[in-house]
Amino acid sequence: MIGLELKKEKRTGVTLVLFITGILGALYVLLNYSIRGDSLLAMPMKPMDILLTQLYGMIMVLNVFALIVATSLVYSMEYSGAAIKKMYILPISMCKVYMSKFLIIISMFLVSVVIQNTALLWIGKTELSKGEFEIVTLIAYTVYTFLTSLPVLSFMLMIALIFENMWVVLGVGVAGFLSGLALATSKTELLLIHPFIVMFKPATAMTSNVNVNTIIIALIETIAFLILGLVISQNKRID
Amino acid sequence: MESIISTRGLTKKYNSFTSVNKLSINIKRGTIYGFLGPNGAGKSTTMKMLLGLTKPTSGKFRIDGKKMPEDRIEILREIGSFIESPSYYPNLTGRENLDIIRSILGLKKKDVEEVLELVGLSEFGDRLVKKYSLGMKQRLGLAGALIGKPPILILDEPTNGLDPAGIHEIRNLIKRLPKMYDCTIMISSHLLSEIELIADDIGILNHGRLLFEGSMEELKRTAKAQGIKDDNLEEMFLSMVNVDNYERMQRAVL
Ligand SMILES: Nc1ncnc2c1ncn2[C@@H]1O[C@H](COP(=O)(O)OP(=O)(O)OP(=O)(O)O)[C@@H](O)[C@H]1O
Ligand SMILES: [Mg+2]
Repeated sequence: MIGLELKKEKRTGVTLVLFITGILGALYVLLNYSIRGDSLLAMPMKPMDILLTQLYGMIMVLNVFALIVATSLVYSMEYSGAAIKKMYILPISMCKVYMSKFLIIISMFLVSVVIQNTALLWIGKTELSKGEFEIVTLIAYTVYTFLTSLPVLSFMLMIALIFENMWVVLGVGVAGFLSGLALATSKTELLLIHPFIVMFKPATAMTSNVNVNTIIIALIETIAFLILGLVISQNKRID
Repeated sequence: MESIISTRGLTKKYNSFTSVNKLSINIKRGTIYGFLGPNGAGKSTTMKMLLGLTKPTSGKFRIDGKKMPEDRIEILREIGSFIESPSYYPNLTGRENLDIIRSILGLKKKDVEEVLELVGLSEFGDRLVKKYSLGMKQRLGLAGALIGKPPILILDEPTNGLDPAGIHEIRNLIKRLPKMYDCTIMISSHLLSEIELIADDIGILNHGRLLFEGSMEELKRTAKAQGIKDDNLEEMFLSMVNVDNYERMQRAVL
């Protein structure tokens, strides 16, 4: 099933977009550090917190847009030539198609996050003094930022499935990003229903501490949007 | 002869508008069934119901003894179909598009080459489909229906958008299919003149209702009985539709 989806995605740039995001994120980290590394480390914070939180903001913005573009691409290729109409009259479950798309994007996103964090690992190893660099903190933060990004992924894939016009999907993505940005620093816990705010959470904190509550919320939202997407994919009718 | 597709009182309503009205048709195994009707008669809607693309409002049907939606996957495994406009992945070549269908159906690699040859696309197999002409897309859609020699073919206006030579070629291809391998074909069209060259049986649809079902011979006899000239079959079909429209109007007035 996943092999089939990968075949379909040829030349759409879905995997490329996520891969390039990984590379760009890594370059940003390296470049940013080489330019303002000293002034960064002069901030009155723990070096690990500076390294992780000060650079994550920009990486996260990159990742948000990569996820928006990747999710809209995996369904626009189904709609632009009405290929999905043919899929409906083939002996194949639309649920499985959705699940395969989900797994492909999540895997490629993981690759991208790993590339980005490898750059942080390299800086930590070479630039921070021995006692200051904590590999465990880096790994925990990587997992944390990966998991908190999943609600946006899951939500946007569902949106891409629902709206057949790619511009609407991109519009929802941008609206989600902007509204998330506007509300990101609000203390109201209820706002965490907004998948983009969950993704912004690690970027707005001043420490690299992992917030377990946020992770739980992220997982619940990811699974909820995934289930919703699967149900919609099963019941959606194309006329 | 036994029916491979049969519908009973098949009805589709869109809000208060009835698109297909208590349709009961029988398609015999191993024959070509011409499904005829003017624009908006309900041909595509009927075919979509048979393929599980839209849910009937009421009525039922059986395809090779199987029922929708219980046996949906089983039914779809047996049918090669082409509905209205072609569907394709624009980012893939013609060959790659067929390869996707091939792997879903679990067919062999050579089936792709075979069907490309059959519809006359071999030469263009490696061109991206977004660069295909309308006629080439139409042929690709047809290839997607024919691949793997399915026992049932449901073809909705397969010659739409083809040039006269293309229409002739595809019509001959379709006519040859049941002789090439064991299959049943349901094919829709606006033109009786086109259908009469290939179909064994025909069904005539107007405003969602079946006006006639039977062989070409029976159609001629029926027409004669109704006082319609039978020297021109197209005219016969048109006057059948006109008579029905006239009666509908009368009923509407009363
Ligand atoms: N999704 C829909 N919603 C509302 N009405 C519909 C829908 N689909 C079809 N119809 C209506 O049902 C009727 C039959 O449409 P259908 O497409 O089956 O006709 P057709 O016989 O295939 O015509 P054509 O020869 O033009 O392809 C039309 O009046 C059409 O407007
Ligand atoms: Mg039609």
